Amino acid sequence: MPDSSPHIRNFSIIAHIDHGKSTLADRLLQATNAVSPREAKEQILDSMDLERERGITIKASAVTVWHRHKPGAKADDLETDYEATSDETGEHKVKKGESAEAHGDLYMFNFIDTPGHVDFNYEVSRALKACEGAILVVDSTQGVQAQTLVNAYLAVNENLHIIPVINKIDLPGARPIDVAMEIEQTLGFKAEDCLLVSAKTGQGIPELLASIAEKFPPPRPPVTDALRGLIFDAVYDDYRGVIVYTRIFDGTLKVGDKIRMMGTQRTFLVSDLGKMTPKPVRVKELGPGETGYVVAAIRTLKDVRIGDTVTHEHHPAAEALPGYQPPRQMVFCDFYPSTKEDGESSDFEDLREAVEKLSLNDSSFTFQPVHSEALGFGYRCGFLGLLHMDIIQERLEREGGVEVVQTAPTVSYQIVCRAGTDDIVSPSGQVLKKVIEGMPHYAPPPPGHVLLEVHNPAELPNPSTIMEMREPICRLELMIPKDKIGDIMKLVLDRRGQYKSQSFVSQTRDLLQFEIPLAEIIYDFFDKMKGLTSGYGTMDYEVIAYRPDNLVKMDILVNGEPVEALSVIVHREKAEHRGRALCAKLREQIPRHQFEIPVQAAIGGKVIARETIKAYRKDVLAKCYGGDVSRKRKLLEKQKEGKKRMKNIGAVTIPQEAFMAVLDTGD
Amino acid sequence: MALAAAPAHARAGSLYLHVPFCFHKCHYCDFYSLVDTRDRQAPFVDRLIEELAALAPSAQRPLQTIFVGGGTPSLLRTDLWERLLAALDRWYDLASIRAGSGEFTVECNPETVTPDLTATLRAGGVTRVSMGAQSFNRTHLKALERWHDPDNVPRALTLARDAGISRASIDLIFAIPGQSLADVEQDLDTALRLGVTHLSCYALTYEPHTAMTARLTRGEFQRADEDLEADMFLLIRERLAAAGLSAYEVSNFARPGEECRHNLAYWRQDSWLAAGPSASGHLAGVRWKNAPRLDDYLASSTDGFAPIVEFEPLDPRRALAERLMTGLRLREGLDEADMLDQAARLDHAAPARLRACAERHRRAGLMHPGPRWALTDSGILIADRAAVEFLAALSP
Ligand SMILES: Nc1nc2c(ncn2[C@@H]2O[C@H](COP(=O)(O)OP(=O)(O)OP(=O)(O)O)[C@@H](O)[C@H]2O)c(=O)[nH]1
Ligand code: SF4
Ligand SMILES: [Mg+2]
Repeated sequence: MPDSSPHIRNFSIIAHIDHGKSTLADRLLQATNAVSPREAKEQILDSMDLERERGITIKASAVTVWHRHKPGAKADDLETDYEATSDETGEHKVKKGESAEAHGDLYMFNFIDTPGHVDFNYEVSRALKACEGAILVVDSTQGVQAQTLVNAYLAVNENLHIIPVINKIDLPGARPIDVAMEIEQTLGFKAEDCLLVSAKTGQGIPELLASIAEKFPPPRPPVTDALRGLIFDAVYDDYRGVIVYTRIFDGTLKVGDKIRMMGTQRTFLVSDLGKMTPKPVRVKELGPGETGYVVAAIRTLKDVRIGDTVTHEHHPAAEALPGYQPPRQMVFCDFYPSTKEDGESSDFEDLREAVEKLSLNDSSFTFQPVHSEALGFGYRCGFLGLLHMDIIQERLEREGGVEVVQTAPTVSYQIVCRAGTDDIVSPSGQVLKKVIEGMPHYAPPPPGHVLLEVHNPAELPNPSTIMEMREPICRLELMIPKDKIGDIMKLVLDRRGQYKSQSFVSQTRDLLQFEIPLAEIIYDFFDKMKGLTSGYGTMDYEVIAYRPDNLVKMDILVNGEPVEALSVIVHREKAEHRGRALCAKLREQIPRHQFEIPVQAAIGGKVIARETIKAYRKDVLAKCYGGDVSRKRKLLEKQKEGKKRMKNIGAVTIPQEAFMAVLDTGD
Repeated sequence: MALAAAPAHARAGSLYLHVPFCFHKCHYCDFYSLVDTRDRQAPFVDRLIEELAALAPSAQRPLQTIFVGGGTPSLLRTDLWERLLAALDRWYDLASIRAGSGEFTVECNPETVTPDLTATLRAGGVTRVSMGAQSFNRTHLKALERWHDPDNVPRALTLARDAGISRASIDLIFAIPGQSLADVEQDLDTALRLGVTHLSCYALTYEPHTAMTARLTRGEFQRADEDLEADMFLLIRERLAAAGLSAYEVSNFARPGEECRHNLAYWRQDSWLAAGPSASGHLAGVRWKNAPRLDDYLASSTDGFAPIVEFEPLDPRRALAERLMTGLRLREGLDEADMLDQAARLDHAAPARLRACAERHRRAGLMHPGPRWALTDSGILIADRAAVEFLAALSP
């Protein structure tokens, strides 16, 4: 460790998606010599394969770097000019023949690169709790966007100091002055306080380093000598078990300490402490204000709670640090194994293994086994949002080596039922979970009633027992070009949105606020909004409440038989339209059979829409020449396999794609 | 991987040659063919001859059938044809072919047929031409991006006949976007007026990675309606049957005795050798495919054999699956006793499962009664579905 204790600065980098956080982090790593130019690849901190392929950050990552700064200097020397990178102990290398002090005081920067996508917003909230400052990055070609505001508000609420940074000024389309005005207009920072940088070329980075050292406050002094560290992240490592990231507020954590998690009351022995620089580097202790990782033979992610406080087993703190709400799953769908040659059961085992393994890595999705009449055994999983769902599916297939089919995503509903002596069960016999006081979005049901959670239309109990159905409502913020406001208003209002307010962002754009049911935006709303605004609109949403509406369960009958995996919960007034669209879609998706197949949408037994799938007449490929024989055999074998994947509902085989058809909103 | 010479009892009675050159790529086509801008015809023929020599020990003597396909074989220059035909004569026994009991077919593009070419082909033993007409309607040819003048079809057929090549077949495509039932009828009438004794009528197939399929997905046109396609299929069968050309395979029609023997060899799962880039062969229970790229084919040779990209020894289950699949497409169908015999080698219950499957098809009127498994007219319409069921019956 350096001789005199360094100045510590803890900060996060926050921004709207793709505004350049990870690239800016690269420059900070490089400018502080944490990585050599040779090691510097793009978005170093995005280490997951999926992050690198999609070019987005999914998980926040915390790193520690060292930096020298002379108080009062407007810009800093870049360490890249020095003769070597900082060494393992964090000792700082200097220009030939100079002493380290000649470069100023030593600073330890602990910073966290955060994801920009709204699904991973909880990662940002966590990161901010471990910091005193935040760099708010705004793309100079895009300006202030929906998540810029949301993330900035999160930081303001945590009382963090914010440095606004206007990025990508190297691009020909950069409008730094306009964007500075937008920042002043929407967030109240003075336009002239914005730093101009290019995370690509490194322009403005010395000034940013100086600002970090000068503007961000140091960590608050300890308020107790007992250890208190906030757990702000945890990752699973195949070799070392769970690695916990903590920010120490009070006391000192040492290797060999016995620790206790104040929330879960579990105890562990610390075997290793360290910092990511971004290479992991071991340290003997973590003092007040520092951030680092802890290895303590923690076997699964279930053993730690993000937001919990670490203290010493033998000298525990009296009170835990304020934690945070666990992320809430908003979108649900089922995963079933794709059928392979050797039968169904073994495939389910593969899926189970893959799901459990992945849950070690990502504790923010939930899963429980389900059985569907149509699709067999699978898992019902909960996700933070649609992107999260997508990513989990991809990771299951890629990392778990299983092929899955997926049902249409739905939201979770709360239903009010008359309380009886018995538990209320779903048609499949599962006891429905109660929503009780203290749970998020709880609003008491009328006396003599219970509030139950249902996130699968098939699980709805007998309609006669349901008094009220409540659905999640979001506050929706849209940053929209002014000339597109009319189109967007129509889109939102068509989807049962309510207009709340409109405010000025710049000459060209406004911020609109609505309240809208989550179910109306989970599927294609984002794409529609992007389409209407030629890609310029941005949005953010957050569930704020559950509210009753005139919701009904719409059943789909294929050849006269209800198919529960196709049923949907819809608003009464939209039911007919949705029903027609859905039947039309199914007519395309379900192959012709030897007989005519009626497809009907019905509410409580009353048919509201109908289509007919004509009987087929011809099913034979034209060509089968010599070179084609094995190819054609494989094709037919696939059809044979496909037949397994399809499900027989009575005499009708329904293919997998049809189960996604319910997503089509018909507009 | 090189192919070893086959044991005497497993030698192939048929030989396929692939000529990969075309002067333009038709939009529906998924055959391996290229527009040759570097004049590789001569090196190609030299390499092909080398391969033919290597394959020859695996051929029956005399050889029963040869089929030269492509690509556009008629695009090969006459002098190169002469070399190729001489090599065939040198390495293979063409006695049956020359005597007329064998068969030697060359695919021709109507545009490229000349008196010189037909004379050369005839002298080399060719007995049959297969003319790629596809349609006689200029609009429909344009829809396929098929570049030839339909008036050249009769001209080319006459040239072949005058040279002494007695048998001729025409290829037609139906269910072309914009084509009506009456249009199909017109194409059939024209073809029949030309006096051919064999017709292949293929429903337009949207093969993956073809320009046609890309245009379809881009929404440039609508594919023919499923019901209309079925009507066309039935119309063709009816019309041609009335003219004396009955359907001996899903898409192939002939006067009795005029069936393409080479193709029947494929469908009856006989052995055949294959030469040229992308050509596929079947010998002694093994399927293989030559590397498709011409440059790879030209560059690499193991004792004359071509580089191979696929090599699949057929286990009894696959072999039977393929036999069922191709056999169900034939009017002659499959011999029940033979099928049950083969099935018995899979597992003891397999014959019963297959027989039950056949019974189901018979009860539904999809299969004729009798000692052979042959689909009825309504069965042929859904031959693929039937094949899927028979394939499913192979597995316990
Ligand atoms: N020209 C230019 N491009 C930049 C600059 N900064 C970032 N980019 C590019 O912008 C894109 C997004 O950058 P990232 O650093 O991945 O953005 P992010 O904010 O981390 O994105 P998320 O983590 O997905 O929210 C990448 O293609 C970068 O190369 C810059 O200063 N100039
Ligand atoms: S001529 Fe035949 S092989 Fe050549 S591109 Fe056209 S269809 Fe394909
Ligand atoms: Mg990023």
